[in-house]
Amino acid sequence: MQALNEQRNTIRWYYDGLAQGELRAVKCEACGKYTFPPTGCCTHCGSWNVKGAELSGKGTLHFATHTGPAASHPRFEKNWPVVYGHVELEEGPFVHAIIQGVAPEPETLRALYEKGPVPVRAVTMKTEDLPVLAFKLVD
Amino acid sequence: MRNKLSERVAISGVGCTRFGDLLETPEIQGMSLQDLTAVAVREALEDAGLTGQDVDAVYAGNAMVHSSQLPATYSQLAQWTGTQLKAGVHFEAQCSTTNVGVAMAAMAIAAGVYDTVLVFGVETTRTRVKDNSPYEREPISNQQSWMWTDMAVNQAYGVPQGYDIFSTYNGLVALGYCRKYGISIEDFDRAMLELCRTRRLHGSMNPKANVQETLEDAAKRKGFGDVYEYWRSEHNPLVAWPSRLLSLVTTADGASAIVVTRAGLAKGGKSQPVELKGFGINMGDLPWYGADPTHVEFDRRAIDAAFDMAKIGPKDIDYLHTHDCSHISSICTAEMTGYLEPGRGLAAALEGRLRFDGDRPMSTHGGRHAFGHAWAASAGSDTYEAVLQMRGAAGARQIPRAPEVSVIHTHGYAMIGTVIVLGGM
Repeated sequence: MQALNEQRNTIRWYYDGLAQGELRAVKCEACGKYTFPPTGCCTHCGSWNVKGAELSGKGTLHFATHTGPAASHPRFEKNWPVVYGHVELEEGPFVHAIIQGVAPEPETLRALYEKGPVPVRAVTMKTEDLPVLAFKLVD
Repeated sequence: MRNKLSERVAISGVGCTRFGDLLETPEIQGMSLQDLTAVAVREALEDAGLTGQDVDAVYAGNAMVHSSQLPATYSQLAQWTGTQLKAGVHFEAQCSTTNVGVAMAAMAIAAGVYDTVLVFGVETTRTRVKDNSPYEREPISNQQSWMWTDMAVNQAYGVPQGYDIFSTYNGLVALGYCRKYGISIEDFDRAMLELCRTRRLHGSMNPKANVQETLEDAAKRKGFGDVYEYWRSEHNPLVAWPSRLLSLVTTADGASAIVVTRAGLAKGGKSQPVELKGFGINMGDLPWYGADPTHVEFDRRAIDAAFDMAKIGPKDIDYLHTHDCSHISSICTAEMTGYLEPGRGLAAALEGRLRFDGDRPMSTHGGRHAFGHAWAASAGSDTYEAVLQMRGAAGARQIPRAPEVSVIHTHGYAMIGTVIVLGGM
C-alpha cells in the first residue's frame, strides 16, 4: 500500500487504493479508532496524528433500500436504480454504499430485510471514470 | 459553552411569499428573484412597523447559487429592500439557512452590537436564469436540481459513489424505524398515507402553500374513489422502498424574511412580537446515523442545547415543526424532542393527533410536502407559520388554543440540525 504521506491528496489516495481493490482508511495514533473514508484528521477525537491503514472489507449490511427515480450522478445512469445499503465495517465505521447482486425490487428488498443483518464484503465497482465502493452479500 | 443570551431577543416581524414555481404559480408567476425577495421582506418589515433603513444589518440567505446567480446577495438585494448602507452578509446553512440567520442575529443583538437585524432567505429550486437574461427564467430538470443541491453533500466520497437522498433519508430510516419498533411494512405504509393526508389537509387551508389540493381530491382527480388505492397506485411509486413519492418534499421557489430585534424595542412595534427563547445548532457529515437510523446525534445535541437555553422541556411544547423532507425522518426527530412518544409517532399520525386540531399539532403550514421546499427560504416559512399560530392569526388552520411555546427544527443539508424555541413575551 502506498503510504498516505507519499500522496498529498487524500481523496486520490483513497480512489487509487480502491482501483487496486484496497479499502483505505486512516487510523488515529491518539485514540486508536478508524476514520473511513480517510481524511487528514480523526473524526472521533479530532487528532491530526493519523496514519494510513487498510481495512479488511468485511462488514455487516444492516439495511438495504433502492435508489430514487433519477440517477444522482451521470456516471450511474446506465445502471440505475441500484440497491443502496447501510453497512457496518468490521473495524467500526458505518458507510452507505451500493449493494451488488440484489435486484432493486420490493420483493427482494423485503426478503433481505426480513433476514436481518447479513455479512457482506467490499468490492470495487467499475464505472467509466471512477472506481466506486460497493458490497456483495457473502454466501 | 455558556449557552445563554445575555439580553432578551424577539421576532417582531415575519414575511413569506407563496411557495411554488416562478413560471407557473399565479401569485409569483413571472417575478424576478429581486421582486420575490422584496415581497417577503416588505411583509416582514411592515409587520414590524419598520423600513429597511431602520435595521442595522441584513443577513441574506441563499443556498443554491447555481440557480439564483445571486452571490453577494446582500448588496444585490439592497436596493430592492431599502437596506442600502447597512451592514450585510450573504450566508447559507442550506435548508436551515433562515433560522440559523435568526440565531446569528440573536447573538449579534445579545452581544450589544446591533439592535435590529433583517434576515431573509430566497431560493429557486424549480427555475434558473435563462440564457443570461436579467429577467427570463427556465425550468430546471429534476436531476439537475438535485445535482446542484447535492453539492452540499460529501463531495469527496458520498456523492461520487452513489449517494442518494431518497435512500439515505427515507428508505433506510424507514427500515430502521420499523425494525426497532416491530412495525410491519404494511402498517408503515398506512401511517405514511395518513401523515401525507394531514400535510395535504394543512396545505389546502394555506393560501401560500405550494400544493393546496387534499389527498382525497388528488385521488378523485385521478379516478380513485379509495385514497388508499390511489396511495398504492402508479401515481405514488416506491422511490426508496418502503418509502413512496408522496412521503417526500415538493420543490419550490420562494422567499421568507424575519425581523429580529431587542425585546425592549419589539414591544412598541406594530404586531405582536414573540420571544426567541433559545436555539441549538449542531452539524454532522455522512453517515448521519450508526446502527440505529432513527437516532441522529447532531439533532440530539441541537435539541438539548435549544431546550437548555430556553429552559423548557418536552411538556412545554405546544406546537412543533420538524424538518419533513422525509416524513419518516420528521417523526424520528419529533420523538427525539419528546413531543411524541418513541415508537408511537406513526400511531399518532393515524389517530389524527398531528392535525392542526389534534393534541400534538405539527407542520400546520403543510410542511415540506404541501407547503413546499425552497431551500434557504424554508426555515423562515416554518418560523412564519409558528408566529402566525402564536398570534392566533393562522386562519382556517389555526390551532384552537394558540400555542405559547413553539419549537422549530430544520435539517440544513447535509446536515446541520437547527432548533429554535419561540415563546410569548
